[in-house]
Amino acid sequence: MLTENEKKELQAALKKYPNRRSAVMDALRIVQNGRGGHIVKEDMLEIASILEMQPAEVNAAATFYTMYNVNKPVGKHHIQVCRNISCSLMGAEHIIKHLERTLDIKTGQTTPDKKFTLSTVECLGSCATAPMMQINDDYYENLTDQKVDEILKNLK
Amino acid sequence: MVTVKINGKEITVEDGTLILNAARDAGFEVPTFCYQADLIGIGSCRMCLVEIEGQKKLQPSCVTPVLHGMSINTESPTVVSARAGVLEFLLANHALDCPVCDKGGECELQDMVYRYGPHKGRHAEPKFKFHEKDYVLSPVIIKNSNRCVQCVKCVRVCREVVGANVLTSLNRGDHQEETSFLRSFLDCDQDGNCIEVCPVGCFMRLPYRYKTRPWDLKGADTVCPYCATGCRMVIEHRDGVVIRARAQLGVGLNSETLCARGRFGFDFINNPNRLTTPLVRKRGALEPASWEEAMGLIKKNFSVGGGKVGGIASPRLVNEELYLFQKLFRTVFNSPNIDSSSRWDPLAVESFVSAASMHEGGVSIFDCMASDTLLIIGSHLSDENPVTDYIVRRISANRRMNVIIASPRAMKLDSSATQLLRHLPGAEDSVLEAIILNLNYDKLPDETLKPVKDARLEALLSTAGALDKEIKAIARKLGASSTVAVIAGTDFLRAPQSIPALGLLKDLLRSRGKKVTVLPALDRCNQRGAWEMGVHPGFGPGYSRVDKKGLGCDGILAAAEQGELDALYIAGSDVASMYPDGEFAAKALSAVKFLVVQDIFLTETAKLAHVVLPGASFAEKEGIFTNQEGRAQIIRKLLPPPGKAKRDFDIIRAVGESFDPSFGPKNPVLVLDEIRKEAPMYGDVSLVFNNKKNIEDKLDNRAALVKGAQSAALKVSRIEPRADLGGAEQFPFRLVTGNHLFHSGMLSRMSSSMTGLLNAAVIEISEGDADALGLRNGDKVSVRGAACEAQMTLRTRKGSGKGMAFVAENFEDAPVARFFRRGKGAPRVAITKI
Repeated sequence: MLTENEKKELQAALKKYPNRRSAVMDALRIVQNGRGGHIVKEDMLEIASILEMQPAEVNAAATFYTMYNVNKPVGKHHIQVCRNISCSLMGAEHIIKHLERTLDIKTGQTTPDKKFTLSTVECLGSCATAPMMQINDDYYENLTDQKVDEILKNLK
Repeated sequence: MVTVKINGKEITVEDGTLILNAARDAGFEVPTFCYQADLIGIGSCRMCLVEIEGQKKLQPSCVTPVLHGMSINTESPTVVSARAGVLEFLLANHALDCPVCDKGGECELQDMVYRYGPHKGRHAEPKFKFHEKDYVLSPVIIKNSNRCVQCVKCVRVCREVVGANVLTSLNRGDHQEETSFLRSFLDCDQDGNCIEVCPVGCFMRLPYRYKTRPWDLKGADTVCPYCATGCRMVIEHRDGVVIRARAQLGVGLNSETLCARGRFGFDFINNPNRLTTPLVRKRGALEPASWEEAMGLIKKNFSVGGGKVGGIASPRLVNEELYLFQKLFRTVFNSPNIDSSSRWDPLAVESFVSAASMHEGGVSIFDCMASDTLLIIGSHLSDENPVTDYIVRRISANRRMNVIIASPRAMKLDSSATQLLRHLPGAEDSVLEAIILNLNYDKLPDETLKPVKDARLEALLSTAGALDKEIKAIARKLGASSTVAVIAGTDFLRAPQSIPALGLLKDLLRSRGKKVTVLPALDRCNQRGAWEMGVHPGFGPGYSRVDKKGLGCDGILAAAEQGELDALYIAGSDVASMYPDGEFAAKALSAVKFLVVQDIFLTETAKLAHVVLPGASFAEKEGIFTNQEGRAQIIRKLLPPPGKAKRDFDIIRAVGESFDPSFGPKNPVLVLDEIRKEAPMYGDVSLVFNNKKNIEDKLDNRAALVKGAQSAALKVSRIEPRADLGGAEQFPFRLVTGNHLFHSGMLSRMSSSMTGLLNAAVIEISEGDADALGLRNGDKVSVRGAACEAQMTLRTRKGSGKGMAFVAENFEDAPVARFFRRGKGAPRVAITKI
């Protein structure tokens, strides 16, 4: 269930759009932030009923964008490594392997202490600084193994 | 018009034509996955890439219109290698489990790879898998996403044509999966159009699974036996068991679409309870007998002249049989007592035929959809005629037109309406009369004008439960249109006091110089044919005048109840279940001195008979159905009738011959010749199947429409409304009935696929009413009326009118006919939670 504050936030978001369904991304963001980083079935059903959409359409929007985590709780720090062409050419695959080794998890998994989740995502629009990743809301660019180690150390 | 060059060949086409269609017109094949004429183009599959001179990149021809002077190449080496490349990518993750795939042998991906594909793959990476095992998506749909080519046709047909909008694309890129909300079980129309449009084995029929290879099937191109939309379909059998019904792209007015009943409801054909031998009542029980014995009894008990006999024939029989049936009664038994419906008053039928101008000839639905304004009234189109609903939705979305829906119940098509009117049940007359009054005001278009105080209008608005501005808006739209189409449904026949207003509105609009077409939306496949063959006590074949008017079903039953009826011959009708007063019907039928029932199942009516004759289903005979538009279409024989059962044509002919050896014509072809002569409407109707696969939208086979009758003997009668059964205080809900989306009459009750979708009686009320009673969707409730009480499951519907309860007429455990009382109007009921 959406809290009263979340409902208010959603009502404010609705004012930005010509029709209700356009606010689906705002709604998903509001709900995800309120849930500590992920969205569950009931949230999507509720959003669908508020925005007068089919639940399947909300599901589609939530799974199309990698920034929404559907039915997938994430750790405190959600590491999202870009693996589109520019980043891959500049060594994203290597960065991913390095992260997997360092954190001792596979892509898509969360560390047992629930601190880190490692994901790969589509282009984050920062090709000029490839390879790069996003941790929660911040970008980390021009990555190397050493840089990654340092970032992780500072996060712990 | 623009002229373009395709592969060096010059062709002139209309502005805005897609390159794909221009190329196909010029005779070049362009492969596609995601393109379909009646869906919005998305250009996603890239199979149709072509080379345009002067443009560096290849262009998707299915979303690129031609421009004057373009030079296009569809077969250049770049194009050929691009196609192979697209297929190589599609195969990168494709399961390639063709040996165990239901689609194997008729798979578009197989065919494409065979023709255009790379003949070796270079992808060494492990294939991405969506899931390990196929998952069941609904009682009739099973899914394997690993075979998907992401053409998204399933999602688009669900959204754009069916309007259910329950499928979607989850995730993206090569992980994009077309499925339901979180892959959950679907609660939808279950029509399987997603299966039909799927080019590969991704969406599959669950009842058909692993039953056959497609090349082992034998099929017949026929017409659906449920509602009167008249959808063309192919039914296919293997070893005598019908296991699939499918529609064909570009064939029939329905093209590739069918509803749940059409696509999955065919399995009554092989129901083990089919009648396979004549039955004769001996010592109170029905026992198997020979045809000779059964016919002997009929000969003995039916008197030719003198005695009072009656006949009721089902609107599911073909025209040839219906024609012969009325001829049997009118010429052999000298009895005008014949009818084709157990539900409707013959006077109402005659009035409806006249008010809807059915005697003026066939009306194409595509003409209706080309009008400025479409008014849908008296029909729950989305449930009763689902494919008509698809056609309205699809075409109205693509052109500027007014779609006005006036209905007490909310329906799926409401989302396509430009204006919606929720009126009270049975109040079509008040709605139409209020519109007519408004059309008669001179200064209607001026919105600033003060509303005229009109006591009559106010009375009409209150009986209709409508607002003045709603009616005015409708009147304004009708007044401003030069072409108007009206889809008028079976509610007019259920509440016949509304029929004169329908005729009046049509005449008024015509007198203003507008082109007005009325399409009757009927719920039995050959109801129109039955009337046009003259199976009616008031008119003969082609709506001709008859010397002696007879009794309809109601009159026949009344005579039977008084013990005045010597013999009754019922062919295919389940009067006991369908007549709106079940108790009376059972009593009357039991009082008939000699009752013959010819049917394919031992129906409630057949159980009361003295002689039961086993007839044939639509799959076991040939003949003509006339759909609601007046389109005559052939049904084809796929199987022989089971056991000792016979074609209904042969049975009716044999009954006639036992009294008069010259009775005939002797075969259906000769009967058709006689029909063409006796009913000039059918004189030059073309029965040539327009079977050419027609990729574009040319689905309107106009040569099949019947012509106008030259001398129709019809008049519109004013039929007084009947008082409701039960008081409003004790029984707050007005009971309305009709067909459920998954059922049609009692026939669909014999299909295990359809009973698998819905088997128990449900009562539907509006969400608001349910909230007020503290009831929730899915609750078990007791429904009590003055005449009957039954237990049902509650369904709530958002947006329906208040104070109205709907129970479909198709449930054996709660026969809605028992809530009605002969001579009374709509029954009222009370609903309480159990």
